[in-house]
Amino acid sequence: MPDQDAQFELDQSGPVPVLRVMGDWTIQTIGPVDAQLRALRELGDSRPAIVDVSGLDDLDTAGAYVIELSLASSPTAPARMIGDHAVAGRLFNEVRKYVGVKPEIPPPMPVWQELLDRIGRSVVDVYEEAIDTVGFFGETVVAFGKAIANPGRVRWLPTFAVAESAGLNAVPIVVTLSFFIGAVIAFLGKTILQDFGASVFTIELVGYAVLREFGVLITAIILAGRSDSSFTAQIGSMKMTQEIDAMRILGLSPMEMLVIPRVIALLVMFPILTFLAMLAGIAGGAIVTMITLDISPTLFFNRLNDNVGVDQFWAGMGKAPVFAFIIAIIGCRQGLNVESDVISLGQRTTASVVQALFMVIVVEAIFALIYMELGI
Amino acid sequence: MSPADAITPILDLPDAAVAIRLRGIANRFGPVVIHEHLDLDILRGETIGIVGGSGTGKSVLMRSIIGLRPPSEGEVRVLGHDVWSSDPAERKALDSRWGVMFQDGALFSNLTVRENVLIPLREHTNLPPGLSLEIADLKIQMAGLPLSSAGKLPAELSGGMRKRAALARAIALDPDILFLDEPTAGLDPITAGRFDALVNELKETLGLTIFLITHDLDTLRDACDRVAALADGKVAAIGPLDHLREHATGWLADYFGGPRGRAALG
Repeated sequence: MPDQDAQFELDQSGPVPVLRVMGDWTIQTIGPVDAQLRALRELGDSRPAIVDVSGLDDLDTAGAYVIELSLASSPTAPARMIGDHAVAGRLFNEVRKYVGVKPEIPPPMPVWQELLDRIGRSVVDVYEEAIDTVGFFGETVVAFGKAIANPGRVRWLPTFAVAESAGLNAVPIVVTLSFFIGAVIAFLGKTILQDFGASVFTIELVGYAVLREFGVLITAIILAGRSDSSFTAQIGSMKMTQEIDAMRILGLSPMEMLVIPRVIALLVMFPILTFLAMLAGIAGGAIVTMITLDISPTLFFNRLNDNVGVDQFWAGMGKAPVFAFIIAIIGCRQGLNVESDVISLGQRTTASVVQALFMVIVVEAIFALIYMELGI
Repeated sequence: MSPADAITPILDLPDAAVAIRLRGIANRFGPVVIHEHLDLDILRGETIGIVGGSGTGKSVLMRSIIGLRPPSEGEVRVLGHDVWSSDPAERKALDSRWGVMFQDGALFSNLTVRENVLIPLREHTNLPPGLSLEIADLKIQMAGLPLSSAGKLPAELSGGMRKRAALARAIALDPDILFLDEPTAGLDPITAGRFDALVNELKETLGLTIFLITHDLDTLRDACDRVAALADGKVAAIGPLDHLREHATGWLADYFGGPRGRAALG
């Protein structure tokens, strides 16, 4: 049966006004009459105190609610109902209990105050995050020291699983991207150095850039995006399902079970990935120089050997364990800080990737300063 | 026909008197058979309690009725409409005629209680925004929650309050049928008792048909007109609680006759 429109009229012919309701008054039909009814609500005490339901068909609580609001009615002095209806009396009685109860909504803050409030909170948040991260860093170092001293306690199975998913499975993307970066550097070097007639130095440029900076940086950026998001999501969802609590109760330390395997896995896999990235970057550069500058592979590798040297390789590789550690602990810490709602899982995953990228770049800059002072 | 006489799964009644009609339902997960040739008629306006041991497919049956999981075989008719072969518009209309309270509430965790209740109102009605807010607050109060909790997130509520919030969302549209999956599980006995009373009260005022999955014997006694026991993939026994107790065999006999059963039912 299709719904009929909700209709009403105010009958003022008698001594007291009567609200006459007709048709269906359900949640599906009351929308259109809401505006007119609101005018009736504004009348206050002069609202009608009698309702005629003889023309009423379907009624639900929503319909009863809007009718009740238009009547001069209260739990102590209910409005009078005339006419017969199967459920109207019962529903009016039910909704009357709740009419007029208003929620306490605190007044909104002025905009300037809210702005200051937010800025203040963010500053405090950043400070607390920093303190907390350092604390977690220390905790991890201690746990890591214990693990080294007592390798039997390390969970090797999850360690290898993480090494596969975060390390081995990242090989194709790391290698491909490094190859292209190497190629781009060679193109750029050739274009600029050609003007000085020094295009052969493209080889040194590729060597320095890939070995010292980009091999390790590309690896760090990919792992920060790829592994940190998965670390945070894995540990975070375990936190949400109380698995972390269960571990603690069973006497297992989440640090030992979750964090240390990830730290060890990344510490092992990161240098390997970096090494592969360097090879791929050099290969990319070599192919471009060979094609565009007509330099033979022998010349390329001789110059690389004589003028760049193994120092640059170690300068790049030396950063790898540091980045690995940073990426692993940021991902784990954010995961452990997830709360029981879905929003915090999303926020923490975002924060973990952003923080890891931020820290990688900052530490990279610090390394650059240190190496400069050391004259490497 | 009064619930007291309805002691067979299949009732000889016209569509108008039956809220849910299941015929030949089968549900299989690979080689595992959950339901086979399951028939059931649920009367309009009754509260039917669904009981059964673990793995007898109580929740699966509910999911087949409310359109979340197609049964492997069989026909599901709700309020005279075939759930699984209705066109999208018909399905949407049907969706607005039942309310579902999932086992853990399934409240949207990023929305406040009020926003949770507003979702069905926004989706299925054309109420002006101001009025839908008022209706949402009405439903929250009808579910027995104070309005001060309307602006809270589900994570900030206790277990019992979360159930009430879920109930408020389930009754937002004044449904004809209410599905409750283990509504009192995890609640303390006092809160559970209040919840049963609330369900009864809502059934009275709203004229609901209630499909109630439970293990709670107190709930069966206090809130259900009839009880259907699932076993061996079908409705093994059905009828008012007293009838079922008199004719209990197998799992049901253990269920009613165990210490908990005797304590609850006397």
